[in-house]
Amino acid sequence: MDHKKLDISFINPFIDGAIETLKIQCSFEAKAGKPFLKGKGPEIKTDIAAVIGLTSATFNGTVALCFSESLFLIMMEKMLGEKNTSITKELEDGASELLNIIFGQAKKVLNEKGYKIEKAIPTIVRGSNLSVKHLSSNPTLVLPFETEFGIFHMEITTQD
Amino acid sequence: MFPTDTKILIVDDMLTMRKLVKKSLNGLGFTNITEAVDGEAAWNEVQNALKLGAPYSLIISDWNMPKMTGIDFLRKVRATDQTKHLPFVLLTAEFDRDQVIEAIKAGLSAYITKPFSMAILSEKLQSVWAHMASAAK
Repeated sequence: MDHKKLDISFINPFIDGAIETLKIQCSFEAKAGKPFLKGKGPEIKTDIAAVIGLTSATFNGTVALCFSESLFLIMMEKMLGEKNTSITKELEDGASELLNIIFGQAKKVLNEKGYKIEKAIPTIVRGSNLSVKHLSSNPTLVLPFETEFGIFHMEITTQD
Repeated sequence: MFPTDTKILIVDDMLTMRKLVKKSLNGLGFTNITEAVDGEAAWNEVQNALKLGAPYSLIISDWNMPKMTGIDFLRKVRATDQTKHLPFVLLTAEFDRDQVIEAIKAGLSAYITKPFSMAILSEKLQSVWAHMASAAK
């Protein structure tokens, strides 16, 4: 898959999946912002990211779901009904689970279009103001989402 | 609908998902809830409950888990005389038609695709309860 094909029909299922998942699972309204290439737009603070590999017969890639600590804690509070003051080890898997659900929704839509994306398991990356490194020479697309509590984003990269 | 004192086992390797399912069940009035971290731990819990004479009346399990997956756990439950009719609901983040057919053949009572709301959970449990009631007639 050419990275030029990282187009709206490929991206939209991830955007729709994120909005739907947060709405249903966290009672959280998110609005998609204008996508941009990583390094060519504003820096969005990231303290926790869930990363999942995209594997299909024709291309590989990665998808990362990235949150600031403050926004993630609010999201988890809304999802679980429990207030936390820091991201504990136990709370980390909430990011993983959210990405897993978003990925599952996007995968279903994309595979109906013939992408043949395989199952995958997310991993968690932690750090203050971290930057997710995608192992690809292709540009990384950043999909920002606005909420009443701040911005979070997804990053998508594909590799032929 | 299942009585609110129904003894329920939630099975998921993700703590946050177990908490979310528990919160949703609490919202529907259920309070007699135990958690297990994978299919293997859940199967041990089901067997222990049987030995103690306090069997589970409903299982809500994730699909993808280490040690023993949800469908392997379902097969063990269905292969045992004392638990073969135990209502078993699978939760999955990835709807896969072949997987669902496989699970139905294995004796699945219902499946829920994530994300799920309390309303969807309630609807599925009502459907399982109605099916059990009509099968008992």
